[in-house]
Amino acid sequence: MRLKDQLAFVRQNVKKNKVRTFMTILATAMGCTFLIVLASIGYGLQQTIVEDTLEQQIVTKIDIHGYEKEDGRFRSLTMDDIDYLESIDGVKAVTRRNHLQQIPTFSTGDYIEEAEAVIAHFPSEIKSGLKLKEGRLPKNANEIVIGYHFPKHLHPDSIKEQDLYSKDGELKENYQYKEELIGKSIKMTVKRLDGEKEVTHIIPLKVVGILEKPTKEWMQDRNVYISQEVLEEIVGFTGTPNGNPRQEEGMEEANKAADTFDEVKVYTTNLEAVKGISDQLDDANYASYSVVKEMEQINMLFTIAKAGLILVGTIAILIASIGIYNTMTMAVTERAPDIGIMKAIGANPRTIKRIFLLESSYIGVIGAVVGVIVAYAVSFLVNFGLPIIIEAAFTEQLPDNLKFSAIPGTLIVISVSICLAVTILSGMRPAKRATQIDVLKAMRREI
Amino acid sequence: MINVKQLSHSFTLGKKDPKTTLPVLKDISFNVKRGEIVSVIGKSGSGKSTLLNLISGFSQPTEGEIWIDGQQVTNFTEAEFADFRLSHLGFIFQSFQLIPSMTAYQNIELPLVSKGVNEYDRKQITIELLKKTGLINYQGHYPSELSGGQQQRVSIARALVLNPPIILADEPTGSLDSETEADLLQFIKQLNKERGITFLIITHDDAVAAIGNRTIAIKDGRLLEVGDAQ
Repeated sequence: MRLKDQLAFVRQNVKKNKVRTFMTILATAMGCTFLIVLASIGYGLQQTIVEDTLEQQIVTKIDIHGYEKEDGRFRSLTMDDIDYLESIDGVKAVTRRNHLQQIPTFSTGDYIEEAEAVIAHFPSEIKSGLKLKEGRLPKNANEIVIGYHFPKHLHPDSIKEQDLYSKDGELKENYQYKEELIGKSIKMTVKRLDGEKEVTHIIPLKVVGILEKPTKEWMQDRNVYISQEVLEEIVGFTGTPNGNPRQEEGMEEANKAADTFDEVKVYTTNLEAVKGISDQLDDANYASYSVVKEMEQINMLFTIAKAGLILVGTIAILIASIGIYNTMTMAVTERAPDIGIMKAIGANPRTIKRIFLLESSYIGVIGAVVGVIVAYAVSFLVNFGLPIIIEAAFTEQLPDNLKFSAIPGTLIVISVSICLAVTILSGMRPAKRATQIDVLKAMRREI
Repeated sequence: MINVKQLSHSFTLGKKDPKTTLPVLKDISFNVKRGEIVSVIGKSGSGKSTLLNLISGFSQPTEGEIWIDGQQVTNFTEAEFADFRLSHLGFIFQSFQLIPSMTAYQNIELPLVSKGVNEYDRKQITIELLKKTGLINYQGHYPSELSGGQQQRVSIARALVLNPPIILADEPTGSLDSETEADLLQFIKQLNKERGITFLIITHDDAVAAIGNRTIAIKDGRLLEVGDAQ
């Protein structure tokens, strides 16, 4: 029998008992909706956390915190390590920075600002994607590049700090520095502590470039990027590594460790390379962190959670399957005489089995389709309504990107597959029973 | 065409002791030639319907062999017999055995659907048979809306729809009045003559048996005689 005719039989049979079929489809749809909505909470929260994490990180970046020696202690990275890192396939750039171990003061005219001074390797920074908003890169020792937000925090030295900022923490408009900074001379004041006495040293610098705004909205770049020569001048003044104003215990040891870097970051050519390079760095005893690694852990946890939720949701479909089993068993019993006649005139038992399996699949498919539609509606309502209810009930502000429920394509595929598998399985026994119907008994209406 | 060899059949009585059996057919042997009309006569309970059920494959014989069109059907699985029935056998039942939820058209078309014939051909064949059996104006009627004679004609049309070489008929006139009976017997004769269809007719009615070329009489499960219908 052709599939088209089998489907026609199914439609005809379904029409015979519309109410019973409708109720069975309803139960299946409810089960499917429950499964999808339940699991969608896992998907939604995962999506929120992943998005939140990705928003705060550059995904192709791997932070290298140090190298683990054989004795289990860590050492800072040196140029040899940088050379090794740069030699790895898939590495786009290796940026290395040192941070001045004190917060110097920068001033121009009456305006002043305390900002962190960073010694960066600009060729690798540019390679990694750092861009200038205006100006150029430093060519001479006293030339500097400033972060995008540095000019926005320059303020008059004569005004008290409590008067500088508005209620929302922003520097008041009338105190902001309005002039062009490129080409301006700026004084950098560093200090050294001789016992209790503070000695200062002024280094004249010239602003030649301003970096572009950081890609992440929440990031603030107020750094001042100074040259290695300026750092050496400060080190010469303080007599401590990286310009720490005070000589501290154990520093003699650190003094010997020249040419090390405080902050080393590896940038990969693409996202796919991150995992392989991370694993390679782990194998080579480098302590590294990448958002991809963190994502792996987050995803692993959520995979377990989602599997659990899907399992619980499947129970609802299993309950619905009892209804399908019951419906199909009744259908077989009611149609036993017809089945007997069909068998008598040559219908193959396999065909009869297939018709009943198609009928239970039909219930499953319609139930799954309705279930998916309703699940999307419920998911939308949950995402729209629940934050309002929670905020009203608990007077707490929820994060903007918080998603209680998300229904990706994979969840639909999984749920519909489970739904179909369960409905087909529940129709198996009644379908088998249909094939076992005794022709003579059926024709004598003894079943 | 049909060759029955030393066929015996017993019914098992009850479920607790399967050894208790009731023999209904004992050592039956006969054959039906291609194009013959053979009537099997016997009183009620003689085993003639059981014989037809065994030949039809609706139940399995306890002993013996049945050969139809050169194939030993007693070895067939249920699925094999279903396919064999579809291609070789047509059935006419005393109680018509029409599906009540299907129209006359759909009932006649059913074997064609089972065989997987396409819709166009199905329509051609079914309409032709509806015309031939005088049911063209009743094609949309359900069995409950037809008289006994009309239902039997639907049943015959259904038996003929796949053009089988053999038709097995179990008391085909049992539910019909004498006038309709005569029409039906005439139709059977015509089919035998025109299409060369072999008929094996189970009946207790001598008038029905008389249309056959030969008669097989069964009494108490045993073959009593095989002879000319006359």
